[in-house]
Amino acid sequence: MTGAAFYAALAAASHCAAGCSQKEAVWQSDKLTLYRYRPIARPAGGGVPLLIVYALVNRPYMMDLQEDRSLIRGLLAEGLDVYLIDWGYPDGADRFTTLADYIDDYLVGCVDYILNTHRLNALNMLGVCQGGVLSLCFTALHPKRVRNLITMVTPVDFHSPADLLSKWVSKIDVAAWVGEGNVSGDALNQLFLSLMPFRLMHQKYVDLLAGSPDQDRIENFMRVEQWIFDSPDQAGAAFREFVLWFYQENRLVKNRLEIAGRKVDLHTVRLPLLNLIGKRDHLVPPAASAALQRLVGSDDYTVLEFDLGHIGMYVSARAQREVPAAIARWLAPR
Amino acid sequence: MSPFAVRMESGIVDHELWRQWQAFATLLSSAGPAPQARPAHDGGFGFAPFIDAAERFTAAARTILDGAGSASARTADEAARTFSDFLREHFADFQMPWNAGLGAAGVQPAPMENSPAFGPTREHQQRWQRTAEAWRRIDDARRRLQRLWSDALSEAATAFAARLGPPPYAAAMSAEAARKLYDLWIECAEEAYARAAHGEAFCEALSEFVNASSQWRREVQASIEHSAKLLDLPTRSEINTLSHRLRSVEEQLRAASKTRKPRAPAGGAKRARRRVKR
Repeated sequence: MTGAAFYAALAAASHCAAGCSQKEAVWQSDKLTLYRYRPIARPAGGGVPLLIVYALVNRPYMMDLQEDRSLIRGLLAEGLDVYLIDWGYPDGADRFTTLADYIDDYLVGCVDYILNTHRLNALNMLGVCQGGVLSLCFTALHPKRVRNLITMVTPVDFHSPADLLSKWVSKIDVAAWVGEGNVSGDALNQLFLSLMPFRLMHQKYVDLLAGSPDQDRIENFMRVEQWIFDSPDQAGAAFREFVLWFYQENRLVKNRLEIAGRKVDLHTVRLPLLNLIGKRDHLVPPAASAALQRLVGSDDYTVLEFDLGHIGMYVSARAQREVPAAIARWLAPR
Repeated sequence: MSPFAVRMESGIVDHELWRQWQAFATLLSSAGPAPQARPAHDGGFGFAPFIDAAERFTAAARTILDGAGSASARTADEAARTFSDFLREHFADFQMPWNAGLGAAGVQPAPMENSPAFGPTREHQQRWQRTAEAWRRIDDARRRLQRLWSDALSEAATAFAARLGPPPYAAAMSAEAARKLYDLWIECAEEAYARAAHGEAFCEALSEFVNASSQWRREVQASIEHSAKLLDLPTRSEINTLSHRLRSVEEQLRAASKTRKPRAPAGGAKRARRRVKR
C-alpha cells in the first residue's frame, strides 16, 4: 500500500461505527438506555440474564466494538442473555445527579425492569471498571436482587501503591475543581493519557504507521480511537462524590461508605463473586482489585488474573478467547 | 564508559545507528501522503507530527554522532548531554494537563498590586486581585511541573544512552532494528516519567495547578456573572438555584409517592422513564 493509500485508508476508517451485535432498547429513564442483545446461540445460564453495568467515564460500546473484539458477542456465543446499560451523555441539566441517583434510582430501575420481565427475584451482574464499583454498592444495598456478581478491572482499594490517579487527586480540592458544573470528558481524557504519555500519545501512532497497513487493523485502531476520545462529560455531583469518597477517602476499604443514607458494607456481600483482574492494568492496579477478597463476606469467591492491560481486557484477541468463556464456565454451576 | 564512546571506538556503530534512524524516518515518511495529496484542512493533524518526530530524532542523532566522530575533544558524555537536550526540547510542549485542558484558559490578567481596596469598586478590585493571584499560582505550578517533566526527559535520555549497549543489529540495517531503538526510548521515557509522576513533588505541583485553576475559574465566573446581571441576562447561578428547587420538588414527590404506595417499585417515583415500544 502506498503512503497516499494508507492515508486514504485511515481517513475512510475514521467513520467506522463501533458496535456489531444486534440489540434493542428495552427501557429508558432520562438519558439512560437499557439494551437487550439478541441471542446468537442456544440459551445457557439457567435463564438468568446478565446485566452489564459499565463505567460512567467512557462509552459502553467498547464491550461490543467489532465482531472479533466483542466481549458481549463472546457472552452471547456462550448462550447468555445479555443486557447493557448505556448511561448516555450527561449535560448541564445533569450536574446535580448524584451517585445515589445512579445506583439507587437508575440502576434499580434497570434491575427492576429485567426482573419483572423475566419474573425473577435476582439476576447476574457484570460490573466493569467504575461500573464494578457501582455494582458492588448496588449489591450491598440490594443483596437479594443479585444472584451472582462479576467484577472486571474494578478498583476497590483506591490507595494501593501503584495507583497513580489516586496519588494525583489526593490533594486536589475536588469540590472546587468540579464547582457546580460537570467535569469535561476532554479534561479527563487528558488526565488518563498523561498516566503514560509516551505510549499513549506517541508510540501508539508510530505503531499504527509502522505496522501492517491492512484495512481490518486500521479500522480496529480507529474504533478504539473513537472510544478513547468519545468520553462523556461527568455529572458534577456524582463525580465529586466518586473522587472524594473512593479516591481520596477510600471509604469502601474503610467501611465508611453511605449511599442514599444507607451504609454500604462489603462484608454483607455474601453472594458468589468472580473478580477479573488485568495484571498489566495501569488504570486499576491489580492490588486495587484484589483487595475485594478480604472485604467481602462471600465464601464463594473466585479471582482470575489475565496478563492484560485495562483496555486489553475488553478488546484484545486473548480476552476474546478467554474472558467470555471463563465467565460462562463460572456462571454455569451457579 | 558511555555507550556513545563504545560506538565511536567500534567505528561502525555510529553510522549504523544513524542509518537505522534514517530508515525508520523513511519508513514513516512513506506512510504519509504526498504533500499535494494532503488535504488542505488537515492542518498537520494526523500522523504528520509523528513523521516529523522521527525525522527530527534522526537528524539529532546524526548531528550528535557526526560531531562525536569527528571532534576528539567532544566527549561521549557531551554527546549524551546534547542528545538529552534535544529530547527535552522536542517533548517540552507535549500536551500534558498543565499545558492544556485542565488549566485556566484565556488571557493572563493584568498584574495588579496588592493595594488596599476601598470605595465603590472595592469588591471588583479584590476579585481581580484574587484572579491575578490565582494566575500567578497557576503559572508557578506550571513551571514546577515543566521542570519535573524536563528532568524526567533528561533522566530518560541518560537511561536510553546507557541501555543502548552493543548493537544487536545485523550489518544490513532493518526497520525492525530501528523500531527497537525507538521502543527502547519510549520505555526509558515512561520509566523516568513514572518515577517523577509518583513523586511527592509532582503530586504537589499538579494539585496546586488544579486548585489554582479552580480558583481562577471561580473568580472569572463571578466577574462574568456580574456583567450578565448588569444586562439582565440569566446567569448560571440562577439556573443552578432553579435546578436545586426542581430536585427538591422531585424528592418531595418521590417521598409522597412512597407514602401512598408502600410497595411501589424500587426506585420510588420515577423520572421520565418508559418502556421502549418495540
